[in-house]
Amino acid sequence: MKILVTAKRVEDPESKIKVKPDGSGIVQEGLKYKINPFDEIGVEEGLRLVAKHGGEVVVVSIGGKEVQEQLRHALAMGATRAVWVNHTGPLDQMGVAGLLQKVAEKEKPDLVILGKQAIDDDQNQVGQYLAEFLGWGQATFASKVESLESEQEKNKVPALQMGADNKSVRVVREVDNGLATLECALPAVVTTDLRLNLPRYASLPGIMKAKSKPIEELTPAKLSVDVTPKVQVLKMASPPPRKAGIKVPDVATLVDKLRNEAKVV
Amino acid sequence: MTAPASNPLLSDRDVDFQLYEVLDTESLCQLPAFADHSRETFTLFLDSTRRFARDVLLPTYRLMDTEPPSFRDGRIHVHPLMRKLYPQLVELGLLSATHPVEAGGQQLPITVYSLASAYLMAANLSAYGFIGLTTGAAHLIQAFGSPWLKDEFMSRMYRGEWTGTMALTEPQAGSSLADVKTRATPVGDGTYRITGSKIFISGGDQDFTENVVHLTLARIDGAPAGTRGLSLFAVPSRRPEDGRLVDNDVRVAGAIHKIGWKGLPSLALNYGEGGDCRGWLVGEAGKGLAHMFQMMNEARIMVGLNGVATASVAYQEALAYAQNRPQGRPAWEKDAARPQRPIIEHADVRRMLLRQKAIVEGGLSLLAVASWHADVAAHGKTEEERRRAGLLLDLLTPLAKTFPAEKGFEANALAVQVHGGYGYSSEYLPEAYLRDQKLNSIHEGTTGIQGLDLLGRKVMAAGGEAMKAFTEEVGATVERARKAGVEPAWGEALNRALQEVVELTMELGAAGMAGEVERMLRHSADYMELFSVLAVSWRWLVQAAAAREGLARGGEGRDFYEGKLAAAQYWLNTELPRVTHLVALCRSGEDSYTRMRPEWF
Ligand SMILES: Cc1cc2nc3c(=O)[nH]c(=O)nc-3n(C[C@H](O)[C@H](O)[C@H](O)COP(=O)(O)OP(=O)(O)OC[C@H]3O[C@@H](n4cnc5c(N)ncnc54)[C@H](O)[C@@H]3O)c2cc1C
Ligand SMILES: Cc1cc2nc3c(=O)[nH]c(=O)nc-3n(C[C@H](O)[C@H](O)[C@H](O)COP(=O)(O)OP(=O)(O)OC[C@H]3O[C@@H](n4cnc5c(N)ncnc54)[C@H](O)[C@@H]3O)c2cc1C
Repeated sequence: MKILVTAKRVEDPESKIKVKPDGSGIVQEGLKYKINPFDEIGVEEGLRLVAKHGGEVVVVSIGGKEVQEQLRHALAMGATRAVWVNHTGPLDQMGVAGLLQKVAEKEKPDLVILGKQAIDDDQNQVGQYLAEFLGWGQATFASKVESLESEQEKNKVPALQMGADNKSVRVVREVDNGLATLECALPAVVTTDLRLNLPRYASLPGIMKAKSKPIEELTPAKLSVDVTPKVQVLKMASPPPRKAGIKVPDVATLVDKLRNEAKVV
Repeated sequence: MTAPASNPLLSDRDVDFQLYEVLDTESLCQLPAFADHSRETFTLFLDSTRRFARDVLLPTYRLMDTEPPSFRDGRIHVHPLMRKLYPQLVELGLLSATHPVEAGGQQLPITVYSLASAYLMAANLSAYGFIGLTTGAAHLIQAFGSPWLKDEFMSRMYRGEWTGTMALTEPQAGSSLADVKTRATPVGDGTYRITGSKIFISGGDQDFTENVVHLTLARIDGAPAGTRGLSLFAVPSRRPEDGRLVDNDVRVAGAIHKIGWKGLPSLALNYGEGGDCRGWLVGEAGKGLAHMFQMMNEARIMVGLNGVATASVAYQEALAYAQNRPQGRPAWEKDAARPQRPIIEHADVRRMLLRQKAIVEGGLSLLAVASWHADVAAHGKTEEERRRAGLLLDLLTPLAKTFPAEKGFEANALAVQVHGGYGYSSEYLPEAYLRDQKLNSIHEGTTGIQGLDLLGRKVMAAGGEAMKAFTEEVGATVERARKAGVEPAWGEALNRALQEVVELTMELGAAGMAGEVERMLRHSADYMELFSVLAVSWRWLVQAAAAREGLARGGEGRDFYEGKLAAAQYWLNTELPRVTHLVALCRSGEDSYTRMRPEWF
């Protein structure tokens, strides 16, 4: 079984993120970066699946030389090898999905796992585009069954399960009104939600092994993908600072304010 | 109540600063031993450990503090959480991280390991304690044990299947290991029958792995009295026999109720009550203490790191508390209707926080540079480089052990103080860290013993060569600070203090040579204090230099560097001048406590 997992480089949410005064982007200096947490969950899920069914996890990232850090992180967790699509400059979600499509066609994985979104711009689009481009089934927001009383939880049934013949995958998804279970024929695209698993911590032996694992370099040109963005970023701005709250004397005033000022009830 | 999930334990920015701006840790990778490493492997390892410490270990701290191990049916039952935590800690690769590849290790520089492990200690020192003890015990077998011991014992310890202890202390032999009485009688098959009692043995029993190996100091029958009669033995709680484990007659006689480190049991052990306890000699007979001491620098650096870590986690609590606790208004504010201000706006609270910062980050810097010299002492390019680093390491070790223990305790008390009445309550964490910290001035050689070691041995070592190397290091820092544009007065003050200490040391050395040992050692506690202040002043000057260099590069992160400069100013202006006073005290004939007679109390 071969599983392709994405490993996007994103700003560490713990570093202070500031918008440049001219609104052209964010101040990069002094920022820390990490692997998109949803992608990290994807790597973990991939590793668990191959531990059970055999095969390999291949990680892919798009960006400048620095994304190799995130690829190494995934390799240190246990992925077998990495694909680096070397590209700097603007890129929109469709461009990303286009590049991933070509990588997927080249690698021919049984499953592509992506984060449901990246925590930098929170787009939640790439997985869906990719499934469409590839013409594969998709199961987004793979999540773990929450109720500790449920049969699945008691029997430790994972949220991603291969069918008996390894030709399909059963996915428990988080949806607005609860959980939905989908079955998809393979190959398929799955995106991860937060509660799917707790990613492992890379071990020192794993980190040392990762050094000798191969990272294959590709480019949009080599993959013949035109990545000219269709989405244009006009300007970035911080959200307005939150105003200080006020204390109301009683519930009646609160209800009144909610109804007549905030107009939310 | 558990710590807010946001306690960072240590400042990541500071750890990076110590590694890559104060020191040039990447340059260690030019040494053949560390050639497989790079900043990337360091970063990945630090990342894993600090995340594990914050996400997994920290939430377990209070639980293990409030539910100490219990002693039932002759066995110790530790907190059930250890069953999950220990394998996870092993999985990170901590047990053999710094050891050679041939021994299953990853040859990580101690410098990086030290700073990474500080996060684990800050998060849950007891849980990490089992790792520290096991790696120390296994390392002794790795260095001195027979191939059989390595196969049967060491490899299982490194794999996390068994744990280890260091069993030195006996009721009559604490500071004075020369008085160890535990006996080893040759059985005739190469093994020894062990009889005796040990006390305070940390990790001496647990119920999360199947066996514990006690690296035990004992005296072979007929061996001379004193330290030269001591040998080192590997004594398992259960011994391998015909392919299975059988009871080896090591009994838990009792668990000590402690004020801190509550998750890690410290036990009284009886060996051979039933006449059936076997031990295996590790290394040479009569060299037991020497073998132990070969690992001593590392063990003491670990204690110093614990001191820094315990002060750091409390400092971070206090910092967050001070930013959120509204209390009072500025002295000049007359209007009592105005809202109260967060206490961090009071200068006196900032004084307490800055003192904690100066102790924590000065201590961390001292530990980082001591670890650096440990790496160079073991793997430096030339014999000369290794020898010099070894001398510096020997000199810095008692300081790196004692400063964080003693001043860390003060920092921990300040963290309580910043919390006001709430700090005195067990609903908040600082009181627990204060209790934990106290151990660091007691185990691995009490502060008193460290003071005697520093003055009686370390500064006098190799005909003053260690002192000379230290002087050169300080000189290089003063030069670096000057070039970086640090306040010239700071470097000059450090130079003057160094000069005073060098002169004092020569005088005291001469007194010792002249047979006036009492006079030489009379103020060993003051000497330890003044040398610690001096060494940490050196670390603050080098941090000031690195901060100036950082500011000169421009860009983001100004606040961090300004904070460093303020802490350096605080230390160099308020602490460094104490050296002169303490030097005078050591020189003076001040003899109140030496003259004081027991019956006068
Ligand atoms: C929680 C805990 C865990 C421990 N874990 C271990 C362990 O795992 N393995 C182990 O072997 N031991 C362990 N110890 C023991 C520890 O190393 C000893 O407590 C320590 O060496 C001090 O010995 P002591 O308690 O007998 O004190 P003493 O030696 O009786 O010292 C009492 C006081 O007298 C002073 N003093 C003693 N001798 C001199 C001297 N010659 N000159 C000047 N002052 C002196 C000391 O500085 C101290 O202040 C542990 C102790 C504790 C509290
Ligand atoms: C065991 C115990 C028993 C007690 N018994 C009693 C009792 O019987 N009766 C009673 O009334 N109270 C009692 N107290 C309360 C005690 O007096 C308060 O805890 C104390 O006054 C400090 O107030 P606080 O805890 O709110 O701390 P805070 O006032 O919040 O102080 C927190 C920190 O901020 C500093 N700080 C606060 N304001 C300023 C300022 N303006 N300038 C500079 N620094 C400032 C403080 O020095 C302190 O370090 C008791 C407390 C304890 C722990």
